[in-house]
Amino acid sequence: MEPGKEKGTATPREQNQSPRPNLKPVTMNKNLRKKKKKDLEELKKEVDMDDHKLTLDELSAKYSVDLTRGHSLKDAQEILFINGPNSLTPPPSIPNWVKFCKQMFGGFSLLLWTGAFLCFLAYSINLRYNEKADKDNLYLGIVLSAVVLITGCFSYYQESKSSKIMESFKNMVPQQALVIRDGERMQINVKDVVLGDLVEVKGGDQVPADIRVISAQGCKVDNSSLTGESEPQSRCPDCTHENPLETRNIIFFSTNCVEGTARGIVISTGDNTVMGRIASLTSGLTMGQTPIAVEIEHFIHLITAVAVFLGVTFFFLSLILGYGWLDAVIFLIGIIVANVPEGLLATVTVCLTLTAKRMARKNCLVKNLEAVETLGSTSTICSDKTGTLTQNRMTVAHLWFDKTVYEADTSEEQTTGKTFPKSSDTWFYLARIAGLCNRADFKPHQESVPVAKRATTGDASESALLKFIEQSYNSVNEMREKNPKVAEIPFNSTNKYQMSIHLLEDNPQAHMLMMKGAPEKILDFCTSFMLNGQEFPMDEEMKVDFQNAYLELGGMGERVLGFCYLNLPSNFSKGFQFNTDELNFPMESLCFVGLISMIDPPRTAVPDAVGKCRNAGIKVIMVTGDHPITAKAIAKSVGIISEANETAEEMAARLNIPVSQLNTKSIKAIVVHGSELKDMDSNQLDHILKTYKEIVFARTSPQQKLIIVEGCQRLGAIVAVTGDGVNDSPALKKADIGIAMGITGSDVSKQAADMILLDDNFASIVTGVEEGRLIFDNLKKSIAYTLTSNIPEITPFLMFIILSIPLPLGTITILCIDLGTDMVPAISLAYESPESDIMKRLPRNPKTDNLVNHRLIGMAYGQIGMIQALAGFFTYFVILAENGFKPLDLLGIRLYWDDARLNDLEDSYGQQWTYEQRKVMEFTCQTSFFISIVIVQWADLIICKTRRNSLFKQGMKNKVLLFGIFEETMLAAILSYTPGMDVALRMYPLKINWWFCAIPYSALIFIYDEGRKLIIRRRPGGWLEKETYY
Amino acid sequence: MRRQLRSRRAPAFPYGYRYRLDDQDEVNQNYLADEEEEAEEEAQVMTVPGLEEEEEEEEGKEEEEEREEEGQGQPTGNAWRRKLQIVTEYLWDPEKRMSLARTGLILVIYFFFYASLAAVITLFLYMLFLTISPYMPTFTEQVKPPGVMIRPFAHSLNFNFNVSEPETWQHYVISLNGFLQGYNDSLQEEMNVDCPPGQYFIQDGDEDEDKKACQFKRSFLKNCSGLEDPTFGYSTGQPCILLKMNRIVGFRPELGDPVKVSCKVQKGDENDIRSINYYPESASFDLRYYPYYGKLTHVNYTSPLVAMHFTDVVKNQAVPVQCQLKGKGIINDVINDRFVGRIVFTLNIET
Repeated sequence: MEPGKEKGTATPREQNQSPRPNLKPVTMNKNLRKKKKKDLEELKKEVDMDDHKLTLDELSAKYSVDLTRGHSLKDAQEILFINGPNSLTPPPSIPNWVKFCKQMFGGFSLLLWTGAFLCFLAYSINLRYNEKADKDNLYLGIVLSAVVLITGCFSYYQESKSSKIMESFKNMVPQQALVIRDGERMQINVKDVVLGDLVEVKGGDQVPADIRVISAQGCKVDNSSLTGESEPQSRCPDCTHENPLETRNIIFFSTNCVEGTARGIVISTGDNTVMGRIASLTSGLTMGQTPIAVEIEHFIHLITAVAVFLGVTFFFLSLILGYGWLDAVIFLIGIIVANVPEGLLATVTVCLTLTAKRMARKNCLVKNLEAVETLGSTSTICSDKTGTLTQNRMTVAHLWFDKTVYEADTSEEQTTGKTFPKSSDTWFYLARIAGLCNRADFKPHQESVPVAKRATTGDASESALLKFIEQSYNSVNEMREKNPKVAEIPFNSTNKYQMSIHLLEDNPQAHMLMMKGAPEKILDFCTSFMLNGQEFPMDEEMKVDFQNAYLELGGMGERVLGFCYLNLPSNFSKGFQFNTDELNFPMESLCFVGLISMIDPPRTAVPDAVGKCRNAGIKVIMVTGDHPITAKAIAKSVGIISEANETAEEMAARLNIPVSQLNTKSIKAIVVHGSELKDMDSNQLDHILKTYKEIVFARTSPQQKLIIVEGCQRLGAIVAVTGDGVNDSPALKKADIGIAMGITGSDVSKQAADMILLDDNFASIVTGVEEGRLIFDNLKKSIAYTLTSNIPEITPFLMFIILSIPLPLGTITILCIDLGTDMVPAISLAYESPESDIMKRLPRNPKTDNLVNHRLIGMAYGQIGMIQALAGFFTYFVILAENGFKPLDLLGIRLYWDDARLNDLEDSYGQQWTYEQRKVMEFTCQTSFFISIVIVQWADLIICKTRRNSLFKQGMKNKVLLFGIFEETMLAAILSYTPGMDVALRMYPLKINWWFCAIPYSALIFIYDEGRKLIIRRRPGGWLEKETYY
Repeated sequence: MRRQLRSRRAPAFPYGYRYRLDDQDEVNQNYLADEEEEAEEEAQVMTVPGLEEEEEEEEGKEEEEEREEEGQGQPTGNAWRRKLQIVTEYLWDPEKRMSLARTGLILVIYFFFYASLAAVITLFLYMLFLTISPYMPTFTEQVKPPGVMIRPFAHSLNFNFNVSEPETWQHYVISLNGFLQGYNDSLQEEMNVDCPPGQYFIQDGDEDEDKKACQFKRSFLKNCSGLEDPTFGYSTGQPCILLKMNRIVGFRPELGDPVKVSCKVQKGDENDIRSINYYPESASFDLRYYPYYGKLTHVNYTSPLVAMHFTDVVKNQAVPVQCQLKGKGIINDVINDRFVGRIVFTLNIET
């Protein structure tokens, strides 16, 4: 792998193509931006480092440090002061006041500020020309400002609360590092490590900085989070490669030392480390808006457009109708207030928060509130293999002995109960070799931990064998005590075998030579084989069987090891001094026992989860750094490549024809190698992504992961990426939703992600998808509910202007609805259970399936809202008529009605009303209009519970919703009947029977909508569905 | 594939409306499915290039024409044909599968929907009228207790005038004269009956029967009737102000205790007003004018008046006057409403 080169190829892409423009406002000034861009360019360049090529003396000179005594304390202090602490700079976070301002001036706030400003304007104009100005406008302006401030503060609080979750991840454990300063070893905080420090690292430590090794004993490091290699790499003081990433004498910041010890000089710290550079690159990537943010913005634009259009139209209309400027401005305020669903954004925030909490309980921690929904819209998941789909733990999967393949139990909890004939003598030999010819060991003090989950020292394959033998045979430690090791040849890459000689417990005088290694190598040593405990001379038939078995196991992507032994003759009995360098003992004519193959097995829940994603129309793509064969095997076992499908190569092999002759149309699965991907242009990649349903990308680099994500996004998909390593973080950041692993994930990946799976389990993603889709549906319902009441809020103003009737609904009352009675019911819809199996339908199309579409507006504004408005007006007319003003006499009465000097206005019966009496009447009507809206909103809430199903099927199980109905009614009653409300809000008590005026309309709404849904169900895809199903 | 073709074609036909309307049919379709389809189509195209035409034909005739035009690039498809095409596309756009006819249908459906809503509200209002009596309002408590109003009333309750400058008070005189036309003795005698004072003028009988009204003659107002002094005292700095109580259907003052009017200085020196003459002299509204039966049956009802003759008021300064109704069942101290049971006005008579 040459990351430098690949970075070079990736650079122009990132510059020229940003699939979605960053719509968020950039507050930086131009110069700053330029500087930042330059920095990013530098980050993308090859890692420039020559420390690995220096001799120790040169190194000592360069960092002016004594290689045995380390820095002096004083020097270290100075360097720390100059270079700053050894920690990654957190990605530039938007300052709090900017976030706050965004809440203050984003969304509807601007419209409401306009309203408030107009209020103050109207008041001051009034003040100027009339001595006794009406204070109503002043109050309304104050109330509107307060509304904006309070909802803004609320949203800000919610957002900051969810981002605080993330801070708990930071500084989880303050890491310590062992440094030598002034010749003394001391434990210091990692962030105090400075350039040139002499550092000691031992097995189990996290590397505190980029370190040039000067001495090492059996040191191995796990670079997986940096490069994706899952094998631990050994480290020594010699420079073995030009490329600093490949050479063996450098260990990298934040990787883990698996075993051994190393001592070295710190050559870079903090952001200058290789890890730090990737992290900075990641944080430099621009992120698009989340789908829900796009939807909400779309919706806000829609509502704002309606508000401005209506407001301006009626502003001029009222001027034409002969109203004064001041009146027209007041109408404008009223229309704006009525049009803006003030409480809606807060409702949406609460709904998202509720879902985020619910998801956190199911191990999906959401960092960014808006990301809650994104998983629901996701149409493609690019999943990393190791750790997400698999257990990240080598496990014995198959055994081959007695010419038979046996399957071992690979499940996490050892529950499949698969067994094999343990009574066979061959198994006895195999188990002994596997347990004794094995350098892995359990770490101490883990007796209570299940065997499969215990931590071990040593190589992954050996640990797998150790655990397997411990589980299915006997205690390995006991076995090792009884059969002490007298000599061994450790595994190395040239031998490809490992040999050990043991004293036998059943014959304490004799030695047995045991060997394991690459199967073909092992077979070369053997002249006989074991079958059911009996030795037979090696024959051709056996060799063919061996080949077949080896191919079969290897073809499953498993790592295969062969096992053989030799009973040493009696002249090598106890006390013989074995010399492993000169081989003073026979090591030929061994007896072949069997094969054991290992794999990092898939997690138990993954196949099911992948199946669910499939059903839900989500394409699951595997993107891994691992080998194609292993990747394919895992892909097949978890269902990413389904059983029915085969790749071109497989099909060609089955039909026995060259790949080029295949009919490519029928092939739905493909495994793409990283080296092929490197040569593709974006069209070819698009073609692959479009053509194949089941795709596995193997041997991919971090940059290629990014390219794949961008490719999917280019095709219009909403992409989720899972990953744990630092190498995944650019892709995590670029994805619409990046999902990091909570346990194995690196800090950088968690930082880049939007969501964290606390249990590292792919199955949790399915939960996320489900919750995301549910909240999208429920938000639609919630918005439909809230928007409906806009019509009975707007129409009074329009009628007031056009028909010149007394104002049926005041601005304060509108605010009481939007911010009072409508809030809890709207939130309660977030608790609504799904109508059908949401995991069986396709993901929404972000282009056409909007949160708020014209059908929803049509339903809310055009149909239900209109009925609600009728209910309100009916109540209004009833009350006025019963008190003396008949509807027809009201037309055109406004000018007299609102004339404060006219204190003997005649009604339809010839009675004469003072101004104040009329106003009390008017406010009583407004209260009743308000109550009517509450009553018709009952029905609206109930019909919004479902979009397709009948209420009778859905039921009224949503307790929060029932509470919501109760709450809004109580609130309405309190507002109407509490003494003092007449002064505070100008709400007056109503006669009981005025509450009932709206009930027929409530019933009408319910019947109308049940009928509509019935037709929609009866005629799927019919006209009504197309026009009204939102 | 289909989508790609569309987008390629789009700039040639930049009709605004195409972009406004959502793609109806694709709403519930998944783009992945689309992709599959597209991929398949593409695969077919690659193997059999001729297939594309067939695909296109399925899409609709217009499109085929369009394709031909673009493909062959012949100028024979002249402007005339293009215009026709635009019209047909406007009526039926195959790409959006949306037509004007359909938009029209939606409008028609909404028309019927609103028509039925209108029918519903009409029905409900009709039912409302069935429950409401045309003679008696269902509730009168909102209009009680009665409000008070004075005449002359132009725009304000400040009486500012200069005795020596008739133009400053002329409009009061005109206003009063106009107001009292309905009280002319001849008219009252002709239209209304002279009923006994001191008791209610109760007229039993059917609700819809026309009710008789009691006479209130202009001459009852004596010096303030304008009959003797056509300037109602304004020319002498002794202005007449008429006070009336708001009509309320069914309102009856306490028996034997008619509602009285009394005026005094509201704030300041009580001696600013040295004398007021009331007409009728009782300064009260006689019981015979009650109850009121509503304007439908009690057509000629004449509201009783009390005239206040401010015969000796301090000149050249604003004198705030408060006139209150007094009597049982009368409230004259509501804080919010300064016209219930009382009225406040200022007199500023200059000489």
